[in-house]
Amino acid sequence: MNIKISYYFIMLGLFSLSAVSPAVAIEKGQPAPSITLKYAQQQNVLSDYKGSVVYLDFWASWCKPCRRSFPWMNDMHQKYANQGLKVVAINLDAEPDLITQFLDKVPAKFPIAFDAEGTTAETYEVMGMPSSYLIDRNGVLRAIHQGFFVDKQAKYEKEIQTLLAEKG
Amino acid sequence: MQLTKSGSIAAALAGATCALLGHSPAVQAQDALKDWKFDTAILLYSEVDRVSLAEGVINASKTFNDDSVFNAKIALDGLTGASANGAVSQPNAQTFSGPSGNGSYNTPANTVPLDETFKDTRVQVSGSYLQPFGDSWRATVGGNVSSEYDYLSIGANGLIEKDLYQRNTTISTGLSLQFDTIKPVGGVPTPLASMSASANSYDDDDYTTLVSNQGVYEDDEHDDDDGGHGEASTDNKTTVDFILGVTQIVNRRMLMQVNLSLSQVSGYMTDPYKVLSVVNTQGLTQDVVYEGRPDSRTKQSIYWQTKYALDNGVADVSYRYATDDWNLTSHTIDSRLRMNFGESSYLQPHVRYYQQSAAEFYRPFLLEGEALPAYASADYRVGEMTAFTLGLKYGQKLENDKEWAVRVEYYQQNPKNAGYDEPGLLKEQELYPSIKAMMVQFNYHF
Amino acid sequence: MKPNIFKKQVLKIIAVLILLPLAGCANLGVKPWERDLLAKDGMALNAEGVDLGLDDHIYFSKEATSGGRSFAGGGCGCN
Repeated sequence: MNIKISYYFIMLGLFSLSAVSPAVAIEKGQPAPSITLKYAQQQNVLSDYKGSVVYLDFWASWCKPCRRSFPWMNDMHQKYANQGLKVVAINLDAEPDLITQFLDKVPAKFPIAFDAEGTTAETYEVMGMPSSYLIDRNGVLRAIHQGFFVDKQAKYEKEIQTLLAEKG
Repeated sequence: MQLTKSGSIAAALAGATCALLGHSPAVQAQDALKDWKFDTAILLYSEVDRVSLAEGVINASKTFNDDSVFNAKIALDGLTGASANGAVSQPNAQTFSGPSGNGSYNTPANTVPLDETFKDTRVQVSGSYLQPFGDSWRATVGGNVSSEYDYLSIGANGLIEKDLYQRNTTISTGLSLQFDTIKPVGGVPTPLASMSASANSYDDDDYTTLVSNQGVYEDDEHDDDDGGHGEASTDNKTTVDFILGVTQIVNRRMLMQVNLSLSQVSGYMTDPYKVLSVVNTQGLTQDVVYEGRPDSRTKQSIYWQTKYALDNGVADVSYRYATDDWNLTSHTIDSRLRMNFGESSYLQPHVRYYQQSAAEFYRPFLLEGEALPAYASADYRVGEMTAFTLGLKYGQKLENDKEWAVRVEYYQQNPKNAGYDEPGLLKEQELYPSIKAMMVQFNYHF
Repeated sequence: MKPNIFKKQVLKIIAVLILLPLAGCANLGVKPWERDLLAKDGMALNAEGVDLGLDDHIYFSKEATSGGRSFAGGGCGCN
């Protein structure tokens, strides 16, 4: 009898360990969780961008597909910034030297935020590198992309256009 | 970016390959070269008094936008020098017939008999293509062809990988098939047939036995039907390899790999140029016979490797345990320590230790009067031995992702007595000489 | 020459070593953004592939055992 009880407690314990859930759920259709964006010269919170469509990208210098995503993100920034698109790229590198090395080779026209600790990535439950999240003008999470694929670029752009067309 | 003449050719080849693989060919030559990586190396290997090898390799690799990878490799090597033929040394000079039956070579007294007529050039071409599909699967297919003047090898291989747990775990399984054809100079010798009966197999004339001992010659009638050679001129061998592996990220600095391999080889595995001495109780060679190995071999091995990222380098250690139905077991420990220093240089010491037990048909020599075993080989490479390698590599990263390196290694093999008593004068002969080799290698990556 | 029983024990230990990572996998590993060191060239399983190929050629010619290694897994884990 005692063995049975302790067995159940152990299973409960293990279950609770594996079922740790974040404070806010990451799900399409849910409000995008608020995070602090630490730029080189300033700091913002995500809600500062309400009214704009936000393309939130999590990247790192050691991530090869990120090298392919930057020219495309530059393109999106150039085309749609004046329509209300905000491209925010959060860097998750642990070594700051590598960030400047990367940006020298692959320049960015959009703002880079820094999160070496990875707390914003935790909040957004990043499952793979790179990951990008599209947030509409009302602050609702509308698309989650894991990885960056050149042959999906057109599809990503259409999503941005659709969200930009929506009124805030 | 200036393109030299060779650069344009490379770009043209690159563009053609991309088109062939179904990817849209790049418009500019420069674009075609982007994401191509070349690794070239030249290796010089030389054993004291024995074999020397020079090998050149070019490896080209291209990663496409969908993360698929094409890889091609071409290797060219030339081998010269002498190799132990398996006979034992004697207190007198010995003569052995060369593989064609026409040539012969002499071994001085008290010297390990070496076959000096060992020359070879080999070309090897291989290619592979890796394609990711689905969210976490990857498949690779590859093929290879290798050709020497007496050996042709053709093979194909496939590998499937699956990522689990946010790519912290990768399971992989692979299958490879290799088909070899051997066409030894002078034909395929009959296993354990006397070398003396095989000389001049295409000649009807009387001849002198080409094994001489203490100046005693024997004249034999040559019999066309009874010969060590001429039964078959080619033979072949098929190898099927199966591998199952798990790669696991342990923490931010460490990953581990464990692989299980199973291999089935069937066909001709004998070395047609190796022999065994048949000695009497005094240790005097009475006859020299060709070796013969079984025509089937089933091998299993387990391989474990860890790579650990240091602040300024990488530590890499691996262990392999292998066993087979020839009763041969081996242990291999291999380790490398990359130490980065300065802006862009590194030093990398390398230590490897290898130990194997003798195959059950291994005999350093045969005893006269004993029944001839079904299979026997005196090749120290299937005997009991330990070997170690000590190496040091120095490399430097240049601008534009170019890199060069130089590597020097010392490799020593120590064959051991697998438990065979040495009769008579063989006690004073060197039966298990060490083989000492030096390697120098230059690498260039661009 | 090792007796068969010892071989069986070794193989059992080996099987456990294989299954252990699989069993503990859910807890073992890193977050996707913590693969900076693993993504370095030197940490790739096929790093120095040319050296490994040349070594394999030599050891295959001079010893009775060959193979065992594979290049699957590790790295940056991207896409």
